[in-house]
Amino acid sequence: MIQIKKQLTGKKYWRSLDQFYQAPEFQEWLNREFPAEAAQPLDEPSRRNILKLMGASFALGGLTACHRPVEHILPFSKGVENFIHGKPLFYNTVMSLGGTAMGLTAETYEGRPTKLEGNPNHPWSLGATRGYHQASVLSLYDATRGTPVRADAKDSNWNAFTSYIQNLQSSFGSGAGLRFLSEPINSPSLAAIRKHTLTRFPAAKWFEYSPVLTNSTAQPVTPRIAFDKAATVVALDSDFLGLDCTSVLAVKEFVRGGRKIKDDAPVMNRLYSVEPQFSVTGAAADHRFRMKTSEIGAFASALLGAVQSQSSPLKVLGQGGRADKALGAIAKDLLANRGKSVVVVGPRQPAAVHQVVHQINQALGNVGPVVTYLKSVSDQPRPPIEGIRELAGEMSNGQVNTLVMVGWNPVFTAPADLEFETNLKKVPNSIYLAQDFDETAAASKWSIPGAHYLESWGDAVAPDGTASIQQPTIQPIYNGKTAAELVALVSGYKDQKAYEIVRNYWLSAIPGGEKAWRKALHDGILPVTAPAASTTPVFHTSSPAPSPASGFELVFVPSWSVFDGRFANNGWLQETPDPMTKLTWDNAALLSPASAKKLGVTAGDVVSIERNGRKLEVPVFVQPGQADDTVVIALGYGRSKVGAVGEGAGFNAYKIRTSDTFGYGTGFNITKAERTYPLVRTQEYDYQEEPKLASFQQDAVRPIVREATIDEFKKEPYFADEMVEHPPLISLYGDYDYSKGQQWAMAIDLNACIGCNACMVACQAENNIPIVGKDQVARGREMHWIRLDRYYTGPIEEPQVVTAPVTCMQCETAPCENVCPVAATVHSPEGLNEMVYNRCVGTRYCSNNCPYKVRRFNFLNWHKHEDEVTKMVYNPEVTVRMRGVMEKCTYCVQRIQNAKIQAKTENRRWLKDGEVTPACAQACPAECIVFGNVNDPESRVAKMKLSPRNYGMLTELNTKPRTTYLAKLRNPNPELQPAHAVEEHRG
Amino acid sequence: MALIFPKSTDKYVKIGALALATAAVAGGALAMYIGHPRVIMTGYQPIQPVPYSHKLHAGDIGMDCYYCHFTANKSGHAAVPPTEVCMNCHTRVKPNSPRLEKVRDSYATGKPVEWVRVHRVPDFVFFNHQAHVTAGVSCISCHGRVDQMVEVRQVEPLNMKFCLDCHRDPAPNIRPVDQVTNLAWTPDRDPAAIGHEIMVARGINPPQNCSGCHR
Repeated sequence: MIQIKKQLTGKKYWRSLDQFYQAPEFQEWLNREFPAEAAQPLDEPSRRNILKLMGASFALGGLTACHRPVEHILPFSKGVENFIHGKPLFYNTVMSLGGTAMGLTAETYEGRPTKLEGNPNHPWSLGATRGYHQASVLSLYDATRGTPVRADAKDSNWNAFTSYIQNLQSSFGSGAGLRFLSEPINSPSLAAIRKHTLTRFPAAKWFEYSPVLTNSTAQPVTPRIAFDKAATVVALDSDFLGLDCTSVLAVKEFVRGGRKIKDDAPVMNRLYSVEPQFSVTGAAADHRFRMKTSEIGAFASALLGAVQSQSSPLKVLGQGGRADKALGAIAKDLLANRGKSVVVVGPRQPAAVHQVVHQINQALGNVGPVVTYLKSVSDQPRPPIEGIRELAGEMSNGQVNTLVMVGWNPVFTAPADLEFETNLKKVPNSIYLAQDFDETAAASKWSIPGAHYLESWGDAVAPDGTASIQQPTIQPIYNGKTAAELVALVSGYKDQKAYEIVRNYWLSAIPGGEKAWRKALHDGILPVTAPAASTTPVFHTSSPAPSPASGFELVFVPSWSVFDGRFANNGWLQETPDPMTKLTWDNAALLSPASAKKLGVTAGDVVSIERNGRKLEVPVFVQPGQADDTVVIALGYGRSKVGAVGEGAGFNAYKIRTSDTFGYGTGFNITKAERTYPLVRTQEYDYQEEPKLASFQQDAVRPIVREATIDEFKKEPYFADEMVEHPPLISLYGDYDYSKGQQWAMAIDLNACIGCNACMVACQAENNIPIVGKDQVARGREMHWIRLDRYYTGPIEEPQVVTAPVTCMQCETAPCENVCPVAATVHSPEGLNEMVYNRCVGTRYCSNNCPYKVRRFNFLNWHKHEDEVTKMVYNPEVTVRMRGVMEKCTYCVQRIQNAKIQAKTENRRWLKDGEVTPACAQACPAECIVFGNVNDPESRVAKMKLSPRNYGMLTELNTKPRTTYLAKLRNPNPELQPAHAVEEHRG
Repeated sequence: MALIFPKSTDKYVKIGALALATAAVAGGALAMYIGHPRVIMTGYQPIQPVPYSHKLHAGDIGMDCYYCHFTANKSGHAAVPPTEVCMNCHTRVKPNSPRLEKVRDSYATGKPVEWVRVHRVPDFVFFNHQAHVTAGVSCISCHGRVDQMVEVRQVEPLNMKFCLDCHRDPAPNIRPVDQVTNLAWTPDRDPAAIGHEIMVARGINPPQNCSGCHR
């Protein structure tokens, strides 16, 4: 036991390369209480300014006393059904993103949606969300959506457009020059209009295009993988926990199946990840091997051979040869779990690799019990770029007379070699449904403002056939139209209004009439029979792999922040750091440390990436654990026509993404450009120094995140708690009695956390947290109440990763409280560390004294420049903080209070477990954050705190945190050398 | 050297100093008095756009407060009712009264009547009507005898001391929930004793910590 403990406490975690190498800048950063410029105002105040301000405040100070300002109360003229002023109303709706439909519940206050939660009824949401869904409500209030109908670069209106279309319709004939371009359609009512359109205009064509690859675009069927039934998962270039799947179902099933473990009988699934990039799936893996994208196919074939012949053929594969050596062990593990294992492959891989993977699954008997194939939601599935390539060819030949574009921004996202913008100019009548005035809108003849999904009627089908009605929660703010409305107008469909289109479609599609329709709206899902799951896959024939070439490989991935670029003007997402790099407001060319060394570049150096005459200058960021000779770059940044928020953020990777390098490409040349670019990341600001333990343990450090293998855990269940020895903890103050009443507490299961950021964005939405911008993040002033710490451990070439959500621990003996000179932060009898904004004078002593560095100070008035529309997103239950006050996580005290008031109204003194859920816990797809009353022995949180893995962060400081963690476990294959020895690796 | 000031000047200096001191003390006291919440907050009685009399409706006719303020026990806000509620009666009662002009206009056009807000708690306070009314705190505790006011005025300071006084000792302001809107309720024994019994029976324990009201 002592040996285990020694090993474990000896494990070193590092959060960035600067720390790994102990760079002097890092040491300086660490030794400061606040970042260097944290105390500097934006502009130096001049003496004149100060005098001016003083004069003004004296003058105004006199004025305020004159009389009380008159405030009006404006009640409705006629009452609104079900509406109670001050109480939120909830509507079920659905959001489509990246080929998946996520059922959501929108919270609305006085008619304005403020917060989105997953719809627990919806099988692809199960009550959780991703960050994108959380942040989509901010896009609704984006003022850049306010561009009116535009024709030939001049403002126009909808009436002018309808008469234009009516004139145009006579020239359509059989539709020979009529083309439509959309994203892959998962809306049954839009599909019905498409059917009508193509029947009425038989020569017309409809193309689908999505810049983001999903598994349903790699093959015309959607693999449905039941991760909860798989004891062994092998992910080949697949980020199924992260960006390859915009729903949360895979995360839920993976976590429920083998990461939420029973402490008395621990059974854990085992995840192998073989990938070029360092994805969150790789971070969650028990064994991760880095490998160039082009080698994954050969690895899959070798794995197939090993599984079929039950021997392990050795080929030189993978970097460092580790994956190659592991092949036999992986195959053995898979064979030992026949029928309850799975190999998954990512959408960037060509169809041939998907075929091989299917054969592996078939050989293992996994097809059926774990893997099934669902019919594609789209009824004309084609390889991802074939449609747009055909369209671009026709446009170039002048065959297209009218092009109606209802998919997001093809000018920006189309493969660069198709020259979409140039070809679009050759189309006499180009019509674009614009979410905001973007690149395509500027290049089209007509741009029609598009309606946001929260303000318009629609519908969407999840891959398993679950249909949901997209129910609006507000009138269109900028008179936007839906895709269905636009196409219905162009093709003369029987219904013209989105409501009629959707309602009439479903009234005829489902039995039960009006009653069934109302039930569907209420439940958020329709009782549609799911298509039968098949065990036979279908593969696209023409999806060749890029041919091998010298030079670098480039991997194009969607962004955690802007996705494919559509969220570029969404500040919440822009400021959310990438889970691995922690970069905000920018993307970068990610290089492995060895490749960066070879090129002679470090983070922030600009390089020029070039292939076939297409060039992109982009700064480098060094990503430990990435495959060598590989560049990973996030799509969607570098928008040229975008609102103020997204302006100047990042670099446009679409410029070098051609149709032959759509998933990944080979043969890129990289040269160093002699300039640098400031990249901003959030990681080191919040660094908690690993303090040295007491003198008798000079060399040990205090483990902030704690982990062990499952075998070590079985031998020594209380390993996490025993990692730290400390003298008896005695408080100077008397202990308050917290044994009575409801005592709020939180437990975070690090074994389940995948580091996906959903909690961060959910917290931002719930608590009116401002964004501060790149310049201010560089000064360490970001305001997130919850952050995700990402720790590397091991050598920089092959590190492992632990992620930990860190927020205010609500310490029972909070160090912040006894240094506040004005009692602005005090303790509640229910154990909350309360922050009282109107008492705070901004000394920032509390933040200095907080060992967890979770307090955030309003250095400036971040809400100053928000327009009236953007303000509609605020949660009225939470104060909007002003300049000069401290703030931090409150455990969503507004939710606690409202639940308590409701319970008291019903004459209940105690809340039921689960009656209050903080925003972070509600959004978490991995169900790793659990909140409740720790005095209720039946509550989930009380039970979790009894787990032997339970430990408190820095409890040796006698802070008695209410938030505790369950230590992470890993389930390595005993036959494999651990990814790295646990001894010291610090360079 | 000759004296510049006569000796009697001493007297005037003393009187002057005393007068200054008295003026300072009196001025301070006056400022404190004027600045006291009970002085500056109470008595506010704006003119409403419609000469609606609470005395007539709630007092003389005896309508229940909840008839109009129907969200008081369901939500944080005891909302001013929609115009529709006025018109429930006034389509028949005095349908042509010139004093109801604005109400009829509002009903016809859909535009709100612009009532002037009387009661206002300070910023940063999340006061909740539902929590209070359902605990048995009567309207009268904060709003006074509205049933006797022709034009509503503020009678309590509604400052933090006012709130905390009651949160520390709620018994005098707790009554049976069905008597909450009965502003003329006169119990046959000590109201504080009744309040105390109700508190014990229902476990009423108002918060005195910050996040009870501030968040």
